[in-house]
Amino acid sequence: MSDHPILIVGAGLAGLAAAVELARQGLPVLVIDQAQAIGGAVHRQPLPGVRSTATGAQAHRWSRLIAEVQAQAIPIRCGTRFGGVDHTGAALLTGALSTLIRPRAIVLATGARESVQPRPGWTLPGVMTAGAIQSRIKTLAEPPQGRVLLAGSGPLLLAVGAELCRLRHPPIAIIEAARPLFNPASLTLPLPYLTEAATYLAHLLRARVPLFFGAHLTEIIQTNGPLVAQIDTRKGPRNFAVDVIGLHDGIRPNDAGLTNCDVIPTLRLGDCREALGARAALADGFAGGQKLAAELLGTTPPSPNHDLQRQRAAQARLARIYAHDGLARLAEIPAETVICRCENRTLADLRALGPAPTARALRLDGRFAMGACQGRFCAEWVGRLSDLKAPPKPIGAARWPSRPISVADLLTTSDPIEKETK
Amino acid sequence: MNHHIHWQARAIPFQTGESVASALQRAGIHQLGRAPTGQALAVFCGIGQCQGCLIMADGQVTEACLQICRDGLTLQPLDGDADV
Ligand code: FES
Repeated sequence: MSDHPILIVGAGLAGLAAAVELARQGLPVLVIDQAQAIGGAVHRQPLPGVRSTATGAQAHRWSRLIAEVQAQAIPIRCGTRFGGVDHTGAALLTGALSTLIRPRAIVLATGARESVQPRPGWTLPGVMTAGAIQSRIKTLAEPPQGRVLLAGSGPLLLAVGAELCRLRHPPIAIIEAARPLFNPASLTLPLPYLTEAATYLAHLLRARVPLFFGAHLTEIIQTNGPLVAQIDTRKGPRNFAVDVIGLHDGIRPNDAGLTNCDVIPTLRLGDCREALGARAALADGFAGGQKLAAELLGTTPPSPNHDLQRQRAAQARLARIYAHDGLARLAEIPAETVICRCENRTLADLRALGPAPTARALRLDGRFAMGACQGRFCAEWVGRLSDLKAPPKPIGAARWPSRPISVADLLTTSDPIEKETK
Repeated sequence: MNHHIHWQARAIPFQTGESVASALQRAGIHQLGRAPTGQALAVFCGIGQCQGCLIMADGQVTEACLQICRDGLTLQPLDGDADV
């Protein structure tokens, strides 16, 4: 058993940092990632020959981590998807490495997902997450074709806007629900946060990108031509005809369908447990790796990590600075607005389940969180719509598989476990 | 860019290592099909989480945003009308 590797799901900052710590203690690890290259969302690497859009600080952080990964000769399999782990501790991997394995422990470091508040028209082709635009920029250093509008709320909007400016393809406008620049608490953020924001703003102002604060994208319509975004600004309604819209309303842990396993240690690290961003993910990865190593080797656990506390405090402050009334608009969206993208279920479908529907009714009758994305993009809103004040609860317990698995994939999966027991 | 993927009957050039989703986007193809629910299939999350970009690649259902282009790869919508 002790020669079985520790399975680490996700080759971003948290996963690789944990792998480095575990390997340093002499524990065998295996890192997998569903993407074709390591880096995760934050350090998504440019394709060969493409110039990197990373800032100096980002590039430095990444090259230091990679040097350690190489020094420890950590095995990494990209293009490999984690299906889940069952009650016996067997984990299903599909894709490039297609097998059932029985790891000694599991580290889930699947990063964050973007939160996108439903609005009429948010399912139209050409409407995507701001992060989808950003990952394209990171891999190709190439903006999307046509006019781009960014809307929603959160620092990522300014970051993506600035990257588009650097590619000489500034967005038509940025629509931000909060008013972060008008909040005096902004100045109490840690210095690296402020310098980052200042750099973004400098790019945006130089390119004369209209920034609307305290504004909301209320509806997207398309009649045989461009996407038309209706905006509620503080000075009245506006609309913008564009080709691509990047929506973003914050980041959340990407933990849909991830279950714990009772028979082996299962640890969640980085944004997958608590969406605190890149700086925290790295610190959490190292600390989590140390803690797991101590647990497996029976040594003294490390002292709590102060870096993580600091980042948690900074993120809480950032959340207050970015507070806005957008959630109130959720209850006012038209009844025919799609809430669940996968199953095409609307607010009217949700209301038809009556007040305070049970998780069972939401799933079986409503089909919410039953689609291919496992509720990643609707569960939050289904929860919010049933109770606007309480933080949303997941719809029922998480269940594996954490992603759809094709029969073809299952058929090619080798099963060394079965051979072992025969 | 002298390699191509084939989106239905159309040959589309790509850059080595890029995803099918990004090559199709550059070619102006946004709608990748329509699910039986009536929902248009298109890239949304861009990183393999939403399953909104499912297509057939050489006969296998896969995410356009995760599938890497290779010369001669044939792509079809799963179902319904798609951009050509
Ligand atoms: S765009 Fe979400 S899975 Fe591909």
